[in-house]
Amino acid sequence: MLKVLLKKQMAEVFRSYFYNRKTNKARSKANSIVLFILFAFLMIVVLGGTFTAIALGVCFGLTAASMGWLYFVLMSGMAIVLGAFGSVFNTYSGLYLPKDNDLLLSMPISVRTIIISRLLNVYLLGTMYSGVVMLPTLIVYWIIAGATVANIICDIILFLIVTVIVLILSCLLGWVVAKISLKLKNKSFIVVLIALGCIGGYYFVYFKAQVWIRELVANAAVYGANIKDSAYGLYLFGRIGEGDPLATAIFTVATAILLALTLFVLSRGFVKIATSTASVGKTQYREKKVKAKSAFGALLTKEFARFTSSPNYMLNNGLGILLLPVLGIFLLIKGTDIMTAVGTAFGGRADFAALLLCAVLMLLSTMNDMAAPSVSLEGKSVWIPQSLPIEPQTVLKAKTAMQVILTAIPILFAVVCAEIVWQATVAEKLLLCLLPLVFTVFSALFGSFIGIRHPIMEWTTEIIPLKQSGAVTIALFGGWGFVALFAVPYFLIGQLIGLTPYLIVWTVIYTVASALLYHWLNTKGAKAFSRL
Amino acid sequence: MLRIKNLTKTYGNKKAVDDLSLHIQRGEIYGFIGHNGAGKTTTLKSVVGILDFDEGEILIDSKSIRKSPLECKRLIAYIPDNPDLYDFMSGIKYLNFVSDIFGVASDERQEKIRKYADAFELTKDLAQPVSSYSHGMKQKLAVISAWLHSPKLIVMDEPFVGLDPKAAFNLKEMMREHCDKGGAIFFSTHVLEVAEKLCDKVAIIKQGKLIKSGTMEEVRGDESLEEVFLELETE
Repeated sequence: MLKVLLKKQMAEVFRSYFYNRKTNKARSKANSIVLFILFAFLMIVVLGGTFTAIALGVCFGLTAASMGWLYFVLMSGMAIVLGAFGSVFNTYSGLYLPKDNDLLLSMPISVRTIIISRLLNVYLLGTMYSGVVMLPTLIVYWIIAGATVANIICDIILFLIVTVIVLILSCLLGWVVAKISLKLKNKSFIVVLIALGCIGGYYFVYFKAQVWIRELVANAAVYGANIKDSAYGLYLFGRIGEGDPLATAIFTVATAILLALTLFVLSRGFVKIATSTASVGKTQYREKKVKAKSAFGALLTKEFARFTSSPNYMLNNGLGILLLPVLGIFLLIKGTDIMTAVGTAFGGRADFAALLLCAVLMLLSTMNDMAAPSVSLEGKSVWIPQSLPIEPQTVLKAKTAMQVILTAIPILFAVVCAEIVWQATVAEKLLLCLLPLVFTVFSALFGSFIGIRHPIMEWTTEIIPLKQSGAVTIALFGGWGFVALFAVPYFLIGQLIGLTPYLIVWTVIYTVASALLYHWLNTKGAKAFSRL
Repeated sequence: MLRIKNLTKTYGNKKAVDDLSLHIQRGEIYGFIGHNGAGKTTTLKSVVGILDFDEGEILIDSKSIRKSPLECKRLIAYIPDNPDLYDFMSGIKYLNFVSDIFGVASDERQEKIRKYADAFELTKDLAQPVSSYSHGMKQKLAVISAWLHSPKLIVMDEPFVGLDPKAAFNLKEMMREHCDKGGAIFFSTHVLEVAEKLCDKVAIIKQGKLIKSGTMEEVRGDESLEEVFLELETE
């Protein structure tokens, strides 16, 4: 039974690599291979490379001081943080929110089997993220400290233990999120706040890690002795990496017990949480007069309702709403110093600093890509806009408008903050305001365009259109590409053209591109939507 | 009210609907019956403008659904076989959304919502999210939303599935009342007893082809509708 469920789960996870949802046909082998290579490049070269560099920096010092165990504690800690916090909300939605939960629960399948098959997703994701830390960690250690058979076996077990710890933490955190969301009324916003707290904490640790690691390596003997005295378990954990069979046995057993306990806890509350309709009976309907809206107004309100009702949607596709004001406040506090420092770094060229400021504003605006998945989010209810007397282009305009509104307001705030600290001509200030706004409109139109070109109308969990769809990936990375396309040429030809004309040219380019996309959405896009 | 002329719709090499012609007049409740996969849903979706078709013409109040889709859709209400409504909205928000799209005035919608939600005993649940509704409650919400803008033609795909006996009774009353006021209803069903008692006319479709249609008396003769249907199915 488990095999059947795992097969179904895997088919769903890797479906997009083998199956083109747009053409409704299987991808060619070459196409699938290219997709896998791109993914492998991102994971192995980009992420793996970063952690190899960190491992090299730490391993030399600690192994020289005969404190290899501390090296493993540090690197395993990073792997656990990266793996666990990244998948908390995947665990919640992957375990408790899939649409086929009811169907599977009605079948003669044990709850534990369903959970295990669901957890495989979480395990794979966690293993992937912890793997990009742990594999370089082990390889670097084997190269620097040497590798014996006992060492290699214990290290592989350490890797497995780390992946299981990641799974356990993800499960427990996901379970807590599920429990909280059952109790709360405005759970979407609370869940988003918790998630942002986690993400904020994660990045705080990420940015401080370098300093802490340096400090730790510099005073390895002192810290090492302290850990041994006050947290012997950590020392023992690190000893696994050095090939200690006793430590390996103790942690293997302990991890297995913890995993069993986690599965026990999850399976006890699973049915209740997975089948719960939390807010039934809480809100009483009271008739009140409503103001009639236009069709466009109704569609726009609907888009906002969908966005604010889903923590996954807000977190995955609306981070720019938070990051842009944060940038604005940051600029107010540190902007003058940074602009001066960047200008100095480029040989006193203040225009480079201004261009980078503009690019950063645009870059953060690409963190809002809610238009891209909004077509796929219609899912099975797409019959509603299709059967109502509204033009498909109006539906697409509402989707685009939501992104424009949710991005333009925070970007305007950030622009105002930037202009307070940036000494420039009126024309430059006007363009610094205009270009990011035009780019915002362009990004939203591009998102709708990609959403229509790569729709996924059949899904069992909203994570698929929100996170794993081609539309969102293209919208996000495409957005970064468009920013690079704008910023990079200036370093080559900026001196010849000058900042103001350069900004004018790009404002015109993005305006024309927006007009073209708008025309496409009004014609071919509308037609495509009506045929979904 | 609704004229379907030589409708043909093909999926790949398979003809889902083959040269189908029907005429539904004002005041008529028109039943559409056939086995699973006979082409009922495809026909209904084509009528309401969700599905494009290969050949033929569909006219609603003499307007082509292809040439004037918006004008036609303003005259129609559609209830699909599976009421996949917006889960993220509350019942009342969904009803207001549909009212806004059809331009139903504030007072008018309030009155209708009150009337129909009370009839279906859904009033106290209107503030709840649609995601917490049972299948039957969603079906009731879909029915209420269909009646909000006083459509001329109501197209329904298996409307009685999931409804409790009282709600089913209410729906039948509403259907009759709607047609008595000059509207028309075109609906598919597998419940032949309901079709027999409720419909003025009936059409039987088999493998995409219309095999019999007319008034209930013309179609069934001295037999029951069930007997006629089964005989036609085995032919």
